[in-house]
Amino acid sequence: MLSDRKDPIEFFRLMKISWLWVLFVLLSILGIAIGISGYYLQLKYGEIVTGLRTPGAGGVAWGLYVVFIIFFAGISFGGLSTSVAVRIFGISELKPITRIAEFISIISPILAVMCVLSDQGRVISALINLPRYARIASPMFGTFSMAISGYLFASLIYFFLSTRSDAYELSRKTKGIMKIIYKIWASGFKGTPEDFERHSKASFWFAIFILPMLVIASSTLGFIFGLHSGRPGWFSALQAPSFVIMAGISGIGLIIIFAYILNKIYKDSIPSEAIRTLGNILMFLTITYIYLMIVEELTSNYAAPKKDREIAHIIVFGTYAPYFWITVISLVISFLILFYQFSSGKILSGPTVISALLVNIAAFTKRFVLVVPSQTHGFFLPYPKGQYNITAVEIMVLIGIASFGLLIFLLFAKVFPLIPLETVGLAETPRTFQKKKNILRTSATLGTLLVGISLMIVGFISSARAFTKYYLDPVIPFAPVVFIIGVIVSFLSAVVYEIIPERNTQSSSSER
Amino acid sequence: MIKDKTKNEMIEDSTKDNRKDKRKIIGFIGSFVALAFGSSLISSALGFLTRKDENKKQNRDKNKKQNRDKKRPKWAMVIDLDLCTGCGGCAIACKVENNVPFTGDDEKMFGAEISWMTILETEKGFLPLPCFHCDNPPCTKVCPVGATYINEEGIVMQIWDRCIGCRYCQVACPYERKYFVWTKPHWPETYKQWFNPDVATRPKGVVEKCTFCAHRLRKLKEKVKDEDREIKDEEVRYLPACAETCPTRAIVFGDISNPESIVSQLAKSPRAFRIEENLGTEPKVIYLAKEKRKYITEGGE
Repeated sequence: MLSDRKDPIEFFRLMKISWLWVLFVLLSILGIAIGISGYYLQLKYGEIVTGLRTPGAGGVAWGLYVVFIIFFAGISFGGLSTSVAVRIFGISELKPITRIAEFISIISPILAVMCVLSDQGRVISALINLPRYARIASPMFGTFSMAISGYLFASLIYFFLSTRSDAYELSRKTKGIMKIIYKIWASGFKGTPEDFERHSKASFWFAIFILPMLVIASSTLGFIFGLHSGRPGWFSALQAPSFVIMAGISGIGLIIIFAYILNKIYKDSIPSEAIRTLGNILMFLTITYIYLMIVEELTSNYAAPKKDREIAHIIVFGTYAPYFWITVISLVISFLILFYQFSSGKILSGPTVISALLVNIAAFTKRFVLVVPSQTHGFFLPYPKGQYNITAVEIMVLIGIASFGLLIFLLFAKVFPLIPLETVGLAETPRTFQKKKNILRTSATLGTLLVGISLMIVGFISSARAFTKYYLDPVIPFAPVVFIIGVIVSFLSAVVYEIIPERNTQSSSSER
Repeated sequence: MIKDKTKNEMIEDSTKDNRKDKRKIIGFIGSFVALAFGSSLISSALGFLTRKDENKKQNRDKNKKQNRDKKRPKWAMVIDLDLCTGCGGCAIACKVENNVPFTGDDEKMFGAEISWMTILETEKGFLPLPCFHCDNPPCTKVCPVGATYINEEGIVMQIWDRCIGCRYCQVACPYERKYFVWTKPHWPETYKQWFNPDVATRPKGVVEKCTFCAHRLRKLKEKVKDEDREIKDEEVRYLPACAETCPTRAIVFGDISNPESIVSQLAKSPRAFRIEENLGTEPKVIYLAKEKRKYITEGGE
């Protein structure tokens, strides 16, 4: 069926503008304008225009921005770990959604960075002082360096490597500037069996390499909350694992939603098997999270310190009960839907998408219930209870950030196919190849990896002094940047492996 | 013949290629090894340098200790709640001393006021709250840029110029003793001529807090250095603005590592307690009260 449509440019309507597309672009530009105006107000008058206030004096210091930092970073984790899982376990039916997963995990760290920056009191100082003085001992270091820049670069590299074959395919079918762009993008990809073999090998090892980093990075996000005995309701060893699970849930949920939308646009180009498989993974994650929530509730009610019990009570029955019960109900309903699909063997795309939407609502409400109540009610001193009234400015800024994400997505959809061409039957993957050793490539790859890791170590050591008591500065300024460059360089080893071409192809072909 | 030639040529070519390849490979490996070596050398050099620095510091400290034959002081504060009348003098004195901005009675500013010294009204008495200057402060642990730190004399300081305004320290403080400057600081025009020149005003978007009037300590140290003597306990007893103002002398300041100071003697009192000691923060503000429980049990509604 699908192989009838030979032209990928026609099929994905690349470089062709429809009215609907223009409408969405205009909408997203409008959203960005709203966001910019909201942020202008915040820059001009300070964060007094947000609903945030001093905790203990009637407000919360962290609010919606922080909730969305976690949300976006979580989505990125979910997207990246899906594509990693596809590579490691070779889940072939999920191949069509890897591109969208990688793309989500590229956009969302950028949006998370924007949320981080809009939360800061002084943006310019943040941009200068974070790379200059960043402390490894702060849980935020992991968020800045690994969760955000790590996710971003890992998914960029994945994305670049996996799109090279498609770029090559497209460069053959286009003319003019686009041909040059696609050719540069393909960067020496010739569609030979060796090229494909190299790609699958590089993606496999890269997946193995970044898997621990993914989990660590997502955990550091949980550590931001879980490490303080001073905040009842936050201090819990469960924080990091439940952050990892929830990140997976919301990321996979979003992939399902996007896959469904793409299916509507590009006429069933993603097999519903893929959505079903994602649904099954989502089901297991959801039940795991429900289990974690039960454990959390039991621990904070049975014989917990008084303040923790108070917070748990306020969350379940008090001010924050609506948020809590929305979380519980949406998780349970989506689990039931997905379990029915899993056990009956049917394929229910529609209900799966509904449960994907529900888990994302739960991801938001659960994070809200985590971040806010401890700041309004969790005091060790007899302060008056606070409240958090979200203001228009916060919502405006967040609309702007989300619209920016949408705009990138829309622009991208006109340049690149959102589904890998081979899975839609628009390009063929050669199956036979000859195994050849290339010492140059191996040594270059290992060398890059070594340089990256040593840069990471240098950066880590020289920005540390972590365990001295009167710690103040990194040993050398901008050492954290060295660490991040090390992370990036070590990731680049996968690119090095893939890009260095076969040396003996010419002679071997002439021999024949 | 022709075929043979081409074959021979090809073999030659391939050997040439191989040689080139080998050279390139060696070059590549060499450069990478060199890079790796270089970076590890740098790291070890850095480690060595810093160790040297630390040694120097230690030596310097030793010399100082030998010269003066005395430890660094550890500043602490004792607040007698049985003496506190809740007049609010300390809070006002603190605002004036440290150029703390005014908030006025604008409804928007609710929850945004800054008071380094807060007086909480509990069920049975008043509870003045400066920064506790914990010996194990949670706020300094979490700061992503090292803008808040504990100095060698136990005072938790804030580098306002470095602060990026992430408010992590504010969230991490179990006692909510940190204040974010939510909007551009505001003072009445006439008030500005009475600014304290010893304390910098803070821009909007940073976190600020009580410093135990570190600027007054600094001035005193300069004076003492000029006169070539030690700081006496009487000199610092009412040094911070709050202690100086308190009409009932409920607030006392001093060096808790000196067993003869009035602060360390009061800290041994059976009435003495610190707030939420089980958190392990080791606060250096010690309260005195006959019935300590009534001040810290129930929160206000």
